[in-house]
Parts: sequence; C-alpha cells; structure tokens
Amino acid sequence: MAQKAHTYPPCDMQCVISSKPLISLWHLISGFHWQYFGATFFAGTAALARTGVNLFLGYFIDQILIKRQYGTKLIEAALIFAALIAGQAFSSFMSGKLAAQTGEGSTRRLRDYLFNHIQRLSFAYHSEAKTGDLLERATSDVDTLRRFFSDQAIGIGRITLIFIINLTAIYRINPRLAGISVVIVPVILVVSLLFFKQLSKSYASYQEQEAVLTTNLQENLSGVRVVKAFARQGYEIDKFEGNNAEKLRRGEKLNMMHALFWPISDLICAAQQITSSFIAALMAIDGVITVGNFIAFAGLLGWLIWPVRNLGRLIVDTSRALVSFKRITNILKVPEENLFIASCQPENGVKGDISFDHVSFEYEKNHPVLQDVNFSCKAGQVVALLGSTGSGKTSLVKLLPRFYEVTSGRILLDGVNLNEYSRDFLRSQIGIVEQEPFLFSASIRDNITYGMKHEVSQAKVEEVARDAAIHDVVESFTNGYDTLVGERGVTLSGGQKQRVAIARALLINPRILILDDSTSSVDMETEVQIRAALENLMKDRTTFIIAHRIQSIMDADLILVFDQGRIIQSGTHAELLSQPGAYQEIYEIQTRIDNALQEEIDNVSLL
Amino acid sequence: MSAYYDENELDDNVPLSGSLLHKLGGVIKPHWRTLLGGVLGIALVAVADAVFTYLHKEILDAAIIAGNKTVLWKLFEYYIALVVIQSIAVFLFVYFIGLQGERIRYDLRKKLFDHLQRLSLSYFSKTPLGWIMSRVTSDTEKMGDLLTWGIVDSTWASVNILFASIFMFIINWRLAILVVLSLPVMLFVAIKFRKRIYYHYRLSRKANSKMTASMNENITGVRVVKALRREEKNLENFKVLSSDMFNSSYRAAFLSALFLPTIQTISAFSLAMVLWQGGIMVENSFITIGGLQAFISYIMMILWPVQDLARVYAEMQNAVASSERVFSLLETIPSITDFPDTVEITSLLGDVDFQNVSFHYEDDEPVIRDLSFHVPQGNTVALVGPTGGGKTTIVNLLCRFYEPSEGVILVNGQDYQDFKLKDIQSRIGVVLQTPHLFSGTILENIRYGRLDATDAQIEEVAKLSGAHEFITSFEHGYQQDVGEGGNLLSVGQKQLISIARALLANPDIFVMDEATSSVDTLTEALIQKGMHQLMEGRTSFIIAHRLSTIKHADQIMVINAGRIEEQGTHETLMRVKGHYYNLYTHQFRQELETRLDPFNSKNNEDSRRN
Repeated sequence: MAQKAHTYPPCDMQCVISSKPLISLWHLISGFHWQYFGATFFAGTAALARTGVNLFLGYFIDQILIKRQYGTKLIEAALIFAALIAGQAFSSFMSGKLAAQTGEGSTRRLRDYLFNHIQRLSFAYHSEAKTGDLLERATSDVDTLRRFFSDQAIGIGRITLIFIINLTAIYRINPRLAGISVVIVPVILVVSLLFFKQLSKSYASYQEQEAVLTTNLQENLSGVRVVKAFARQGYEIDKFEGNNAEKLRRGEKLNMMHALFWPISDLICAAQQITSSFIAALMAIDGVITVGNFIAFAGLLGWLIWPVRNLGRLIVDTSRALVSFKRITNILKVPEENLFIASCQPENGVKGDISFDHVSFEYEKNHPVLQDVNFSCKAGQVVALLGSTGSGKTSLVKLLPRFYEVTSGRILLDGVNLNEYSRDFLRSQIGIVEQEPFLFSASIRDNITYGMKHEVSQAKVEEVARDAAIHDVVESFTNGYDTLVGERGVTLSGGQKQRVAIARALLINPRILILDDSTSSVDMETEVQIRAALENLMKDRTTFIIAHRIQSIMDADLILVFDQGRIIQSGTHAELLSQPGAYQEIYEIQTRIDNALQEEIDNVSLL
Repeated sequence: MSAYYDENELDDNVPLSGSLLHKLGGVIKPHWRTLLGGVLGIALVAVADAVFTYLHKEILDAAIIAGNKTVLWKLFEYYIALVVIQSIAVFLFVYFIGLQGERIRYDLRKKLFDHLQRLSLSYFSKTPLGWIMSRVTSDTEKMGDLLTWGIVDSTWASVNILFASIFMFIINWRLAILVVLSLPVMLFVAIKFRKRIYYHYRLSRKANSKMTASMNENITGVRVVKALRREEKNLENFKVLSSDMFNSSYRAAFLSALFLPTIQTISAFSLAMVLWQGGIMVENSFITIGGLQAFISYIMMILWPVQDLARVYAEMQNAVASSERVFSLLETIPSITDFPDTVEITSLLGDVDFQNVSFHYEDDEPVIRDLSFHVPQGNTVALVGPTGGGKTTIVNLLCRFYEPSEGVILVNGQDYQDFKLKDIQSRIGVVLQTPHLFSGTILENIRYGRLDATDAQIEEVAKLSGAHEFITSFEHGYQQDVGEGGNLLSVGQKQLISIARALLANPDIFVMDEATSSVDTLTEALIQKGMHQLMEGRTSFIIAHRLSTIKHADQIMVINAGRIEEQGTHETLMRVKGHYYNLYTHQFRQELETRLDPFNSKNNEDSRRN
C-alpha cells in the first residue's frame, strides 16, 4: 500500500489534561473540530432528508395521487423522491467519513504521542510500571476512544437529532399526535439503559471465565511434560471440562438476557406504535388529518421510537470510554524527563575525569541506596566496583548517564557538575554493556548499529564485530548480518548477546564505559573470547566495571568495595591486598579453591 | 523449540469443499434441534416483516381510504397478533441460536482439548504454543459464528427477500419485476463492498498487531532506548506503523461509510421508477394508493437483507479457513500410542537397558546414535555433557515421550513398547529443570502426584522433600495460592514442591533434570535432601549439574553429539583426565567461588531494580 506522509494537525497532549472529562475529550480532537461538527451536521441533514422522504410521501399522496395531478407532476415527484434519498445517502456518507477522520485521525495522533511520551518517561517511572499495563493503555484503551469518536460521540448526537426532527415534523402534522407518540420514550430509555448496564456486567463475567479457560489451556500445554509424566490426561480433561462448562453456563445466561431484552423491548416499542397509529388512523377516517398525513406520520413514528432503544448502549459505551480515557490521562500527566536542557555542552565531547563528592542516593524516601560516596578518577582509568547484590554498585553507575539524579552531593565530570550537561549529551558520551543485554527483534546489523544516528558501512560493522569476537558467529548464520534476532530468527546465547552489545558500544566509541562484567554463566572458551573483546573496548576510555569476581579487576586503577551503600575499602589491587578486610578475604578464597581442587584430584588418584 | 508465528499471517484462501461441508454438518448434527428452532424462528420473523408492510397497505386501502372503522379494528387486531407472534419468534430465534452457538463452541473446545491430551510430546515441541491456543480460542469462535449467525442471517435475508417479492407480485407484478431486477445489481455491489471492507479490516488488524509488538518492545527495552538515545528514530519507525494502521483502518471506515449510501442510491433509482410508473397505474386504477405505499416500503427496506447476505458471504471465507485448521488439528494422529497385545504390569522395577538405540525427529539428523547401556535396578545414573548433546532426549525416550527410531529399550528384560503408555508414565516420577506448577493451591499441586492422597500423606511427603517448612510459613499454609504457573513462588520453592509431588506418586523410576539457576544455599541443601529421598531404592536418571549429585552417582555418562563419550564412576573418569575431568574441575571452581564469595551470602532486594 502506498505510504502516505504521516501528517496531522499538531496538538500538545498536555492540554488534554483537565478535571472535566468532556472538555478533555474536546481538546483531544483539537484540529478535528470542523470534521466533528461536519459529521454531526451531516448526521442532521441525513435525518432531515429521511424525514423529508416521509413528509413528501404524504404530500405526494394528498396532492398528486388523491387530487389526480398526473403527467409531469408525477415525474417531478419521482425525481424529488430520488433526490431526497440520494441526499440522505450522501449525508450519511459524509457523516460517516468525517466521523472516521475524527476518530482515526485523533487516535493516531494520540498513539504516536503516547509512544513517544512513554519512552521519555523517567527510569524511576518505568521501574515501577508494569509493561502489560502500559501497553494495555496505549493500545486497547486508545482503541476504545477511537470507537467512541467514530461511533458513540456521533451516534448520541445523531439519535437526538433524529428524535427532535421527527418529533417536530409530527408536531406540525398534529400536536396531539406528537404528545401521544412520546409517552413510551422514557420507558424505553430506562429499560435499555438498565439492560445494557447489566449486559456489560454479565459480559465482563463471561470474559473473565474465558480468561480462566485460556489460562487453563495454556498451563496444560506448557506443562504437557508434567501431564504426561504423571499420566494425568483424564484429570486434566475433567478440569478443563469444569471451566469449559462454566463458560457455557455464563454464555447461556448472557444469551438469555439477549433473548428476553429484544422481544420485550420490541413489544414496548410496538405498543406505542400500534396505539399511536390506531389513533392516527381514526383521525384520518374522521378527517382530522389527511390520508397523506397519516402515511407520513406512520413513517415518522418508527424513526421516533426505535432508535431510542440504542441510546442505552451508546450511553453505557460512553461511560466505558471515559474510564479508558482516564487511564490514558494518568500516563499523560506524568512529566517526561528533559533530554536537552543544558548549560554546558563541550563540542569535542568530554575527557572523562570523574569525581563523586559526598554523593547519596535513594529510590524511595529514607531508604538510602548510596551514602556519602567519595572518589575520583582520571580520564582513561578503570574503576572496579565490588560488592554484594544490593550494595549499591549498580545504582552508582545509573547516576552517570543521569538515569537517576543524586539525592545529595554532586558528581563532577571534567570538573563540571553532571546536571549541567544535558541527558542526551551525557548518554552520547557513555557506552553501556549490560550483563543480559536487551536485543531488539531486528537484524544483527541493526542491533549493532542501534545507537548510531547515521548510516554505518558494512566494513565498519564487521570491524567492530571482529573486535567484539562476534563476527565468526554471525558469519556462521545463513543470513549473516541480516539474520533476525529473537522470536522470528535466531536465539542468541547470553554470551553472544553480550558480544553484540560490546560491538554496539565499540561503534558508538564513547568516552566513558560502563560494564556489567558477568561471565559466570558462560563456558570457558566463551569467557576467554569475551575477556579479549572487553579489553579491546576498554582501551583509552574511563571505564566502570561492576565486577562479580576478583580476577577480572586486578588491573583496575581503582577498586571500590561496597557494602550497604557505602565504600568500605578503596585502592589498587596491591594496596587492598596489603590491608585486612573483605578484599583480602576474597583473594584468599582463590588460593583456597586451587588448593581444594588439587586435594580433590590427588584423592582420586590415590584410590 | 517453538517457531515464530503470527496469527495474522495465516493463509485464508481455503475453498469450501464438499468434505469440509460434511464435517461441518457433523459438528451441527447433535444440535439440529436448536438450529431448527432458530431457523424457524428467524424465518417467522422475516415473514412477519413482509406481512407488516402488507398489513399497512390494507389499513390504508380498506380502512382509512374506505373510511371503515370496523375493518380498522379488525386489522389492528391482526396487527397486534402479528406483533406478539413476531416477538415470540424473536425470542425463539435469539434464544435457540445463541444457545446453539455457545454449545457448538463448547463442543469444539472440548473435542480439541481432549484430542490435545492424546497427542505426543513431539507434536508440542514442533508446534508453537500460540498456534494451538488460537485454534482452541479464536478459531472455535469463528466456526461457532459461521454455524449460527452465518446460517441465521442468510436465512433471514433470503426469506425476507422472498416474501417481500411474493407480496410485491401479489400487489402488482409489473412493478415487482422492476424491483426484483434491481436486486442482483445491489447484491453484486454489496458483496464487492463487503469484501473490500473486510480486506482492509484484516489489514488493520495486522497493522495493529505490528504496532502493538513495536510498542511492547520499546517499553521492555526502554533502558537501552534511553542509553542509546534512540527516541527520535524509534518514534519515526513507530509513526510508519501507526500510519499503516491509520491508512487501513480509515480505509475500512471510509468504505463502510460509503457502503449503505451506495446501495441506497441504487434503490433510489428503482424507487423513482416505481413512483413514476406506479403513479400512472394509480391513475388507471391498476394499483391502489396503499399498494404503491407498500412498494415504497419494500424497496426502502430491502437493502438490509442485501447487506446481510453480502456480509455473511464476505466473511465466510475466513471462517471456512478457521474450520479447516480446527479439523486439521482434530485429525492429527498421535505419533505414540499403545501397541496391540500389551501386557499388564504392576511395576517398572528392574534393570533398564538401552540396546542400540537411535533416535531422530522425522527426517532430521539423528539426535541419539546407537546408544547402549545397562542400569541395574536401584542405581543412580548421572548424565552430564554440553547443552544439545542429547541428555534430555535420552530421558524423553526413557519416559516414552519419544520412541526409539531404531533399537529397543528394555525394562526388566522386556521391551517397554509391550507395556501400556499409561502404565509406564504413571510409574516414572519426573522433576523438571524449570518446575511447572498449575494455578491453584500448594495442596492441589502436590496432590497432582496422586489424586487420592489424603492431606496427611501430602504433609508427609512435603516434610520428606523439605518443603513443609516454607509452606507452613505462608499465611494460608498448604492452601496458599501459587499464582499462574506458580509464579508467586521462587524457583527453589517450586522445585521443592515438584519433588514432593514426585515423592507422592511413589514412582519406580525417578528422572530429574537438575536446575542450573542458582538458588540460595539453604534451599539448595533442602533440594539435595529431597532428591536423595527420591533416589532412595529407585532406579534414577539425573541430568546433573551439581557436583555432589554427580559424585554420588553409581554411573556417570558424558553425553555428547548423541553418543556416550565417557562412562564410569567419578574416580575412574577423573583418572582418564578427559572431558569429565575438564568439566569437573571447571564446575568445582565455580561452585566453590560461589559458595565462598563473601558477597554472595547476602541477598538484597536491589537486584530487582535494574
């Protein structure tokens, strides 16, 4: 399909936030207000044309057929009929089209905005939020709104207009008839509202059971080995049967509601129609109204009563749309993190001198993760962070790209406070290689060049891949660098993913590097490869290594040992080794392991 | 394992064949009563609709224009009777058809589920889980719709058109011909429209799932997006997807908006013709005023059945494709079934022998090549070696999840294919690497091992397996809910429960795939203890990762590339200084490093906040 330029009227969604939902919804379609008016206007003209058909039918019978005015008058009348119907058709088309423009257009804008908004929310927000929940709001809640704009918002207006126009027309035929004909309307409205409200409840319970059934099925399928191992097929069949039958039962209940509502509401509407028509028929026989008027009235009456029955559905749907809308505005209200505000932006990038000056940090109030951290390093040095899980080393490196802000104290980069640089600039200067890097379901090439703002030549990609010791692996795939990663393509091992991330970091060529060094889950050969790749990467960069084992950090210029958010020891390998403490302890373990292993081997040979 | 698959990429060009119709008939057959009730109901509704218009004509001609109040009373009595009859018919058709839909869907789900229980493990390892799920959920829905609303809607539309035509012919056959001639044109245009609308609707569904996937990935990978400053580029890419979505979705909405007005405009032509010609006829008294009015009503209402027919027709293809997929699943033959002349057994105790066993999936390369070994009753075998070497396949063969492509597996000297599948599988206890629990309570999950076990027996095995302590620390104890797939418990806890479950089953042979993921030291010790309980007196096959397990095995087999590379006890293999030696020393270092690391003993919640 041809790719249209994606343009739409601009709208800052922040203006959508308001305490009054209707005003907010109105803001949400700013730029589409004319379309919305147009849709309502044409819904009105369609109703007018439809009413016109009925009125003209009365006129046609009274003035032409009964008065026997044939000849050209007849042809004229036929043409007017056709024109009225065509007019109605055209109007409904225009109304539908404009409503679609409003609904589809404004929700596309909302989707794009939400996508961008979500990716610009802070780290703190993302670590609290559930992916499924965010996704739900950005997709199905937006879709509920789309339906609101293209159906309900216009629908309620349309039915109201139809009602007013037809009532007016009947009133002009005979005021008494008009009064008689609307007696039942409040009843229908109430019945329909109650029904659709109850229906939406029962439907929710039906869907709940559907979810139960789906979970049951999924657990059975993913646990197929357990089911088979215990030969529990019969038990599983009974269990599924129970849930399946419950769904059937709830479905039957739902069905019964429909089966009762439609004929009962039919009867109510029909009672009105019969009574009014009968009275009108008597009037016609008595000559109070003309035959043509009777026919016109009979047609108008149907349009007065039946659409009201749907009003209940539209109102219930609208209340659901408001709930969705509220869930969306709750995301919109969260402020984005500013990427570009800066008072310092060196043209040639930073050097890489870093110092921490009494830095403290907490995610939640009064739960300090880092306390009074002080150290500094020169550009190009390697700083190793050692400590247990939760000792604060991971939190520390998250402060550097300003994923989080320090709670107190300051971090200086080349002597300038970190928050004077923009986040965007800082992140362009920092490369990160995570323990379990996240790769996108794109080609390997795309994953390697992911951080680049411009095109990268194949030669360059291969060069960094070689330095990262991943080139040979990639070459072994049938599609080479075009091989897709993830569900649709190959599944890479943890070590391979890490090397792709290393290649990615090499390409960015950052001044500062953050490494989460974990090689515990890979085999020996891979470990050697990764270590070589890392050495390539660390050359001439200020590097922070989150270390899990002592061997990988012995050459570091500065080793920081963390415990419960504080630095308990710092220095070089040699310095730390000479003082009693945690570091020495770890190092001794290594010797102990070697001894134990030797002993173990000796034992075996003795037997 | 599960190949990638996207529901929206399925092929829908399935013609409605005779055999498929026959099968669909088979699905409806048990429900012929509700179907009959529904079809009769809807037909009555359609007839009543046509009669109403005729009644209007009579009221106009015989009562109002004739000025006869007695006839008016009479006609209104008919009218009331007809309204009541139609309401009853509406009730019947909505009730019966709705019921039939629910029941057919229920039947299909049941059939599919029951059939799935019979299929062999190999089917599940080559079929994506999502694919199977869609067959049971969405395809059964679509089939249900086809076999209910598809039938009812087309019945209503056909009967409505038929009776409207009959009445029109009764009133005036010349005008009727005029109207009936316009029908095929309307139908043709309507079908064209409906197909286009449906096509764009499906496109928008595809675009929507792509958009959702992109959104999902951007949220899960948001940290990388931020670190690599991809916001601009990703938004740009997303805009292309959302624009695709807009285009197809808007297109579908636009065509929908255009659809009925177009049909209406076509009917406007026949209406004008009828008015003109009809007017002339009134002049010559060939038709009454009421008759002409009835014609106008018929013409203005006929677009509804036309649009219904078109919709059913346009969406049928998709439902047919769904049905085809459902039947193909139902017709899949389980690859492993009981052979004729099986022997009854009461235990699987005895020596286990693999004799020249080879195994390959369909036409693939062999996964196991000419494997032979002997395990005396009560011995413990540790299987070690690289991932993908064939350890899991050996275990699957032993459980008869797969059967040897060549060679035989003997238990107590007898080919295990002589036994019933159920007899074998209920006597082998299996503990998986990633323990699978079902939603429900802890009690229910353990009881899975033996359904008639008492609460006391369950508590007993929980104590033996070392699970009792953490279970009683929960607020609801054994009644604690484990969450979907057991995700409210830790990996270690799940493993302990699955050990208790296996203990309760009291199997003759015990199979375990040890977890590679690390659990805390205490849990680790409990798991070891539980395993020893299970291995006690049973022939055990352990895919081993822990040194203590390996060391204590009676036999160690190093499996690589589908063969036994080394075999023997710990001591003999260490002396060989081959694969096992390397494996062992590497593992030894790692385990000790983990165990002795002073940082490792403390566990903190910070690891969750990455």
